[in-house]
Amino acid sequence: MTAAAAVAPRGLARFRPRTRRRELVLLVIVAVTLAVGGLSLGMTRTGTTTVEGGALLAIYVVALLIVHLAQSLAGRRTDQVLLPTVGMLGGIGLLLMIRLPQGLVTQQVGGLTLGLGQLQLVWLCIGLGIVGMLGIVVRSDAWLRMYKYTWAAAGIALLLLVFVLGVDQNGSRLTLVIGPFSGQPSELLKVILVVFLAGYLAEYRPLLATERTSIGPLSLPPLPYLLPMLAMVGLSAGVVIVQKDLGAALLFYAIFLVMLYIATGRAAWVALGIVLGAIASVGLYLAFPTVQERVSVWIDPFADPLGAGFQIVQALHAFARGGLFGVGLGAGLPEIAGRLPIPAVHTDFPLAAIGEELGLAGVLAVLALYLVVVERGLRIAASAADAFRALLAAGLALVVGLQAFVIAAGDLKLIPLTGITLPYVSYGGSSLLVNSVVVGLLLALSDRGIEPPPPPRTRGAIMRPLRGRRG
Amino acid sequence: MDPFVLALWAIRLALLGLLWLFLFGVARVLMRDVRRAAGEVGAELGRLVVVASPDGQPPVGAIFAVDAVTTLGRDLASTIVIPDAFASTEHAVITYRGRAWFIEDRGSTNGTYVNGSLIEGVVPLAVGDEVQVGRVRLRLDRGRR
Repeated sequence: MTAAAAVAPRGLARFRPRTRRRELVLLVIVAVTLAVGGLSLGMTRTGTTTVEGGALLAIYVVALLIVHLAQSLAGRRTDQVLLPTVGMLGGIGLLLMIRLPQGLVTQQVGGLTLGLGQLQLVWLCIGLGIVGMLGIVVRSDAWLRMYKYTWAAAGIALLLLVFVLGVDQNGSRLTLVIGPFSGQPSELLKVILVVFLAGYLAEYRPLLATERTSIGPLSLPPLPYLLPMLAMVGLSAGVVIVQKDLGAALLFYAIFLVMLYIATGRAAWVALGIVLGAIASVGLYLAFPTVQERVSVWIDPFADPLGAGFQIVQALHAFARGGLFGVGLGAGLPEIAGRLPIPAVHTDFPLAAIGEELGLAGVLAVLALYLVVVERGLRIAASAADAFRALLAAGLALVVGLQAFVIAAGDLKLIPLTGITLPYVSYGGSSLLVNSVVVGLLLALSDRGIEPPPPPRTRGAIMRPLRGRRG
Repeated sequence: MDPFVLALWAIRLALLGLLWLFLFGVARVLMRDVRRAAGEVGAELGRLVVVASPDGQPPVGAIFAVDAVTTLGRDLASTIVIPDAFASTEHAVITYRGRAWFIEDRGSTNGTYVNGSLIEGVVPLAVGDEVQVGRVRLRLDRGRR
């Protein structure tokens, strides 16, 4: 007892809960919104005053509150807007998955058969667990900062593993199956790429900003320092292109340009990068029949409305049916002749479902939520203690924003459709878990109590004392 | 009209309303953050930009942050040191009171000019006005917030 009494005060001294009032207020709004959504769905479906999927929504809200409580009890001063914002997006996704036919995706776990909504809830809860854990446990960024090349190597290895052990799905080799687990490593690779680029750019930023290679009238960044990044980006994009995952390739290249711009502040290089990217796209167009098909569908989906253009045409009709305020949750167009109008509605086209059932008001709200995530990331970056953290926070937030943009624009026929997920809304374990890692890291980076970064190290600073000792 | 259908429409619009209420709540938090960041280090009430300086000291184009009380003169203890031969040790003082700027001559030998006219006593100063101390002319600009 005496030993316990001696230990207890020390333990209590470190235990300093902090209230997170803003987060709680926003989470309460999320809970009420989801309850009203469930009620709207139930009333439309059954014609009586019932809440559809009430149990699933309740479990989700409780999970959100647990993460909130855990952060309050841990006393971390992390960002209070990110969790409710991402929680709202996840909640909208969950509502959609409850609303869609449950037989779309099923999985046997033990003796239980889990439908779409239940599976999405399981992934969301695991994702929230990751968010809470990273937000509370991570107190130092050394494990990311020190091992950038290790991370890069791990990312490449992961990609090659998909090459060897991957399984073809919908004509693209994206899915890695190991025993009972399957996942899409290109999702994880985007985070690894951001970590590598942040580490590399933070170290070589002064060189990249001052020195340059001149080729004729062009003033380029110093090539020797640009090459490792180009190699990493090229390798990642190249491998996913061979796997026909064009959305991921576009995302990787865009993230590289964005982070190069953040690190050096040179718009001319971004312009050059866009030109090079455009040339590469033309090359891809000529080399791959898949790309030609995607582009021709994008230019005129109505040329083949029942074949290649089917999904896009149906999505456009769904947006049109939705109008300003939507037809209401659950009142959208049901199956036509036993199948869904948009087959990939739960992965690639959740925005079309939102557009139909919640209307323009709902779509704009969802897009605004992504904007909030990006704004938070940039604010965390602006108040970061050093270049690595700033680049990491900005890169992580922008990777989510860019991904949302690429798929939303694809759904709306603004750019050719590429099969990537709408972060936090789409069904899919890999996407949810990886994007949860992003939020968890952003939360950890936003903490003002996080361990200070190591003092900047330059080669000169390390060499000088050695020289002094010798002389 | 069927009360159930009415209730359903109310619920549907309430869902959209709540989505936007959430965004409104987020926007309020964001605004507060931006305002707090504005009050942090680096914020300044106004700034003085050197427009003309015959001796090049201070150089033309130099920018000085102007606080609530800013003294100008040759004295090294002045907020803005003006090492011009025609400036006095304690030449003038610029103050920010309430929401307006004022300037006062501190009994200098050659006087202080605002937009070319000699001032007497405390004179209000507007953003964009040019102040002349000795032979150095400075323009008052809005601060970076």
